[in-house]
Amino acid sequence: MLFKLSMSGLRSKYKDYIVLLAGLVMSISIFYMFQTLAMNKAFIEANAMIGPIQFVFYAGSVLLSIVTFFYILYANSFLLSLRQKEFGMYMTLGARKNKITRLMFMETVVIGLISLVIGIAVGVGLAQVIGSMLMKELEFNSDGYHALYLPSLIVTAIFFTALFLISAIMNTIKMLRVTVLQLVHADVQTDKIAKRGKKTVFAAILSIILLLIGYASMIFMTYLQQLGVIIALITITSGTYLLFMTFLPLIILAMKRNKKRIEKGLNAFTYAQLNFRINSLTKVLATVTMLIALSAGSITAGMSFKNNIMIMVDGADYYDVTLHNPTKAEKELLASIPFTEQKEYRYKVSDKGIYYLKDDLMNHPPRIMIRASKEDFGKTKVPDAELPTGAEIRGEKNDKHGPQMPNDWYEAMEMIQPYYVYKGERVIIADQQMYDRVQGKEGVALLGKSDQFDAHLSTWKQIDAMQKSKLKLTSDQYINTKYSNYTSFRAFSAGTVYMGFFLGIAFLAMMASCLMFKILTGASKDIHRYEMLRKIGVRRELLMKSMYKELFYVFLFPAIIGIIHVLIGMEMFSFILVHPYFRVWLPILIFLVIYAVYYFITVQLYRGIVMPRKK
Amino acid sequence: MKTPVVEVSNVKKVYGKAGENQSYALNGVSFTIHEGEFVGIMGPSGSGKTTLLNVISTLDQATEGMVRIAGSDITKMKQGALSDFRSQKLGFIFQDFNLLENLTIYENIALPLSLQGVTSRQIGPKVQKVAETLGITAILHKNPAEVSGGQKQRCAAARALVHEPAIILGDEPTGALDSKNATSLLTAMTNLNQEHGVSIMLVTHDAYSASYCERILFIQDGEMYKEIHRQSSREDFYREILDVLADLGTTKA
Repeated sequence: MLFKLSMSGLRSKYKDYIVLLAGLVMSISIFYMFQTLAMNKAFIEANAMIGPIQFVFYAGSVLLSIVTFFYILYANSFLLSLRQKEFGMYMTLGARKNKITRLMFMETVVIGLISLVIGIAVGVGLAQVIGSMLMKELEFNSDGYHALYLPSLIVTAIFFTALFLISAIMNTIKMLRVTVLQLVHADVQTDKIAKRGKKTVFAAILSIILLLIGYASMIFMTYLQQLGVIIALITITSGTYLLFMTFLPLIILAMKRNKKRIEKGLNAFTYAQLNFRINSLTKVLATVTMLIALSAGSITAGMSFKNNIMIMVDGADYYDVTLHNPTKAEKELLASIPFTEQKEYRYKVSDKGIYYLKDDLMNHPPRIMIRASKEDFGKTKVPDAELPTGAEIRGEKNDKHGPQMPNDWYEAMEMIQPYYVYKGERVIIADQQMYDRVQGKEGVALLGKSDQFDAHLSTWKQIDAMQKSKLKLTSDQYINTKYSNYTSFRAFSAGTVYMGFFLGIAFLAMMASCLMFKILTGASKDIHRYEMLRKIGVRRELLMKSMYKELFYVFLFPAIIGIIHVLIGMEMFSFILVHPYFRVWLPILIFLVIYAVYYFITVQLYRGIVMPRKK
Repeated sequence: MKTPVVEVSNVKKVYGKAGENQSYALNGVSFTIHEGEFVGIMGPSGSGKTTLLNVISTLDQATEGMVRIAGSDITKMKQGALSDFRSQKLGFIFQDFNLLENLTIYENIALPLSLQGVTSRQIGPKVQKVAETLGITAILHKNPAEVSGGQKQRCAAARALVHEPAIILGDEPTGALDSKNATSLLTAMTNLNQEHGVSIMLVTHDAYSASYCERILFIQDGEMYKEIHRQSSREDFYREILDVLADLGTTKA
């Protein structure tokens, strides 16, 4: 009988249950998605650029588990609050307490199991869709990734079953503690506004110290290695939670103290709502901040690895193309590219070697890379040494004579005359007289540089193919052109880029469901406030404005702190990325746009609950 | 002759679509409240008194008829204008106080003023003055959750009063109060009416609360049933009200 009753109660609140279920399903599916990557050792080790990648994923798993733990606990206390009043009523009608608590326990577990099944199904689907989409987008092929991955599935199932059991026990304990009257009047209990003392100020300072330690360990990651990751993980997570629990309420309180601002229009109400909301949302906001940091961080890292491809390629080769004796078809292709710099060097091929005309080299010297230190990466210079006539490279060692080839020129000649063109033939520098005497076929080496290497990828590809056929090389023969450098770098980073984007999207979805869930579940408590304000004559537009303002701040704080985390956290990658901050604004801008859209949706949904359209 | 504050003429409120089961919540009610009057509206449950209050307080629209408050015809106003009208000309006291529990009492009372764009400097003295009148100066800095029901209702009265509305509308304001608090609130309201000339309209089904009024309108089944004026002491008036209520029950049957 009681079971029947409780089923009907469940049906009457189906909207709230859908919100609850959606939140749970989301967190489960994302946890699963993360695990499909994290537990697939073979895949991540084969595809990541970062050495201790497995460790990074372990750290990520711990963080995600903490975040999920808070989320599930909150969701289940929401479940309890949904049922309190009804259970109280059953008890006043004479139902026994242990029966009610058993009912509550069952309900928590059943809801958990339902969401677990749906969540894993959704997770498999999402992993499949996002995975194949990203692979296509990034031209990255790997059979190693499986959307349906049994070990991840088992871990997800165990983790959430345990979580649901814990929260079911917690709900039961809560039920056992309260009296019938408290249950019946559960919805009229006013929200307490906590008073804050010196302890809060101390904790606020502590939170900032923790964050600073975390930031420092991320900046000095190169020295701290794995220890840095662990320190950052602990201090930043705890610092963020502490910051939101202590520092933020203080800020809002300070804002509230400004009498002039408060006593203007609806501000008193807006800031009071905000104050109250920030107090009840501290843990959720901290969770959201961590998720923003993880999401924006993953996307930014993914993009940086993508940008890094071009930085690495440009740093390895200054000239986009080196071409010997271009054919007509090659010339046509070259004409389509807006070169900013072009060099031509004449040479003669004789049986003794290849003679380069010194005047050409001296008059238009090619730029070579400065490879002195890490800071010089990507910078170029003109060879500054004198080029002695008769200097030579390659050829048989014991045949070597003539003056020493200076290092700079050695490098320049290696570039002008790539190994694959004439194999190991000797290269000799000849002045005009010597050059004129040499009997042999004349040739020309051509160097070209444009600013848009990545805009003409297909052209480079064609040129490479033509060179191979011209030089009678097989098509799978490796030639060290800039384009082949590019393809190998891209293949090398694609796995990391893929992981970054994949996780970024997953965390973004979880962040969205987390904050929206919390705001919407609390909304029903606000209905009577807005109704009262409308009764005393506050215009709808003014109420709307108040909602936008209030939620703006709620969204603002996690965004600011999350992005600070990301910006400082990117420093971690400086050991592997040349410029971790190159174009960092782009992923952050993309992230902010998505975040803003999501803010508007939340406000609209919230408005739909607290201020329904006219009857 | 004093100027009328509320003029209600032939107001009808119909629920249900034409042709279907129509029910008349109000069926041609007419009356006038003059400036400085303390009027009670009584009637049994389902008599239409709440509907009447909603129509007068512009929360609901009459199907037919005209309602004028402080000279403006509110039946012809748009939604936004009605909001402004409510915030400027009307003061509300509800049964369940309807204070915002996340604001202090001071902020609750100041809200109607800041909504009208009164500067922060002028708000302080006005709140203080109205708080003195209602005897709640000592609790201004507290949160609603920290004070008693009676104090809460005085605060609600202060909020209804602070912007000097044309009329105060009370919807069962003593409904959630014990008798001691109810008496003290009613005395305060009488005081406001007599010393400060505030017009008050009180909707109640409690004869004791109603006996503080000067004039009482009884409605039944959406129609005006009877109107009585207080001539002698409050106690006599109370008995008179009870008599009318007793009649109300019998005539119907």
